[in-house]
Amino acid sequence: MEKRTDKNLYTLLFATGMVVVVGSLLAFVASSLKPKINENKRIEKQQNILYAMGVHENEGKGNVAFIEASKVAGEFSKYIKKQIVITGDLDIVENNDAYLIDIKKEQTKAKAGEKRQLPLFIGEKDGKTYYIAPIRGIGLWDAIWAYVAVDENMIVQGAYFDHKAETAGLGANIKQRFFMDDFIGEHLLDENGIFKGITVSKSNSDPTNKIKYDNEVDAIAGATITGDGVSAMIKTDLRLYQSYFENLKTN
Amino acid sequence: MEYIELLFKSIFIDNMVFATFLGMCSYLAVSKKVDTAVGLGAAVIFVLTITVPLNWLLDKYILQDGALAWVSEDFAIYDLSFLSFIMFIATIATMVQLVEIIVEKFSPSLYNSLGIFLPLIAVNCAILGGSLFMQSREIPTLSLALTYGVGSGIGWFLAILAIAAIREKIRYSNVPAPLRGLGITFIITGLMAIGFMSFGGMLTGGDEEAVKTEPTNELVTDVAVEKLDNELFLENKKEVN
Amino acid sequence: MGLLSSKDSKLISDPLSDDNPITIQVLGICSALAITAELKASIVMAVSVIFVMGAGNVVISLIRNIIPSKIRIIVQLTVVAALVIVVDQVLKAYSYSLSKELGAFIGLIITNCIIMGRFEAFALANGAWRSFLDGIGNALGYGLILIIVGFFRELLGSGTLLGYAVLGDSIEKTGLYSIGYENNGFMLLAPMALIVVGLIIWVQRSRNTNLIED
Repeated sequence: MEKRTDKNLYTLLFATGMVVVVGSLLAFVASSLKPKINENKRIEKQQNILYAMGVHENEGKGNVAFIEASKVAGEFSKYIKKQIVITGDLDIVENNDAYLIDIKKEQTKAKAGEKRQLPLFIGEKDGKTYYIAPIRGIGLWDAIWAYVAVDENMIVQGAYFDHKAETAGLGANIKQRFFMDDFIGEHLLDENGIFKGITVSKSNSDPTNKIKYDNEVDAIAGATITGDGVSAMIKTDLRLYQSYFENLKTN
Repeated sequence: MEYIELLFKSIFIDNMVFATFLGMCSYLAVSKKVDTAVGLGAAVIFVLTITVPLNWLLDKYILQDGALAWVSEDFAIYDLSFLSFIMFIATIATMVQLVEIIVEKFSPSLYNSLGIFLPLIAVNCAILGGSLFMQSREIPTLSLALTYGVGSGIGWFLAILAIAAIREKIRYSNVPAPLRGLGITFIITGLMAIGFMSFGGMLTGGDEEAVKTEPTNELVTDVAVEKLDNELFLENKKEVN
Repeated sequence: MGLLSSKDSKLISDPLSDDNPITIQVLGICSALAITAELKASIVMAVSVIFVMGAGNVVISLIRNIIPSKIRIIVQLTVVAALVIVVDQVLKAYSYSLSKELGAFIGLIITNCIIMGRFEAFALANGAWRSFLDGIGNALGYGLILIIVGFFRELLGSGTLLGYAVLGDSIEKTGLYSIGYENNGFMLLAPMALIVVGLIIWVQRSRNTNLIED
């Protein structure tokens, strides 16, 4: 005799029931937690941007230590003076929510041929001006992104890298200070002002990274593809800001 | 042609087993005999070929941010990508259930020898990995997604075929008793993986589409244009080499 | 343990030795290779799997008599995926930094063949309490191998354990590095994980000759 659980109608009912139960459970959890999650994401973005320009709580050679979540909103408005969005040729607009712009969406827009919005955050600390740009790319397993702070000559003042799913101990180490600190002082342009980006290179003959104008940093052992993703993302996205900086000099 | 390139890439360079180590459990457990390995490998090719394009459609028309715009403009704000996992797994599990029914009917001996590893195709990280990579690497068209699925499947098939053949041959070799069977297989797979790493340096020039930037939102000044031309010329030269 | 009958306590002890999910049942290999370059990640993954297997085995065991046989696989996967997604969302809301650490593992947990392997082999045919023990036991066996592999890979590959440099500083050349020792970068790559597991199998089967295949 066929078991009750083998009958088609029962299967259909069970499947529908399961979809409803699981669907509502997930929808309930997602929607009730969404405001908190979005707030956490917003705080994280602010922490990352401040970190890139050197506003953080790092101690000595210790691990990355962001400004605490409770203090970050205050610090953000204190140090970030202006947020602008560059679209198309000469369209520069101020926008205090520029840091919330979704870079992934902008990249998709650009691929579809539309104009892409380029956010830029301008911060000031100890009399120096920092220009922080968000960039995004693809690592080995999934997305990687970063906030890179430069001065008017496109020399990197600081950077914060992050990833979605890189391998722990290998690609995931782009978030570690030993990698990110290497970028400080590196030049993005060469001596003729041509954009070269920064290549994460295995053949770099300068492991302690004393030479800052070679447009290279030392790669991470075992994280070649992630490193290549970092180089590519810097090249593609940061190049787009070059004309803004050129204009800054001529004005 | 980009299809041939993608095919070659997914079979050898991004080989599911040796480059990203997906689908290991069934690979190690079912490779004792070449016949069962061929059976499982064929099933994996079949499932990947169907699920990757299917999931591509799912991703494009339902899951992606704004993908629901075709239903009505209001729906364009929905971003269902957090459901990707569960939806991809659902399509895969359905396909696998189908395959299980077909195999049981047409080849009961294969069904018995595959045992638990047939339903385990559904959780085979290679199958889910295929769909997830298709999504995260943003494969642009349906036919490329199909090519990627077929290529990944063939790559996995070749890997399991190779190890099964080797395992059959070393049954007559003088392997230390505790290493016999599973132990030596792990070690051989490790060595094969090291060998496959040699493919890692191929085709990386064309891979980084990022390098071929289109100068869209640039301020159009003579200096800027000349510099961009310089860059693109040098980069194109590098790729051709 | 006094609370468990000897049959029940075998559910916990067997996977830790003679019925280890990775070295005997051949399940859970993918994550054993991908995660173990770092000891901390191995531990985090092991703990997550213990939780998911314990809870998952119980749920499947409780509904085992009402699951239609035709969609068995889908139901199992849905249970695991739902469990993992809920945990991920809760972490994102209440401990964002921890959720980011686990972010990469979420996919690897859902597709971990151990979880579905044990659903099929045990939870579908046994009561909730025994299924719970089986889940915990197998997850512990899995965790044991992960931690052993992670220990060697991180130590020999980066010279650190849990992030702390234990052999000296490789750049400043102190400690062991001053006599010319260099980190074996190869250990950080997945093929070496395969070889380490092969060696673990060698040791295990030498100690327990019943497990030798012919």
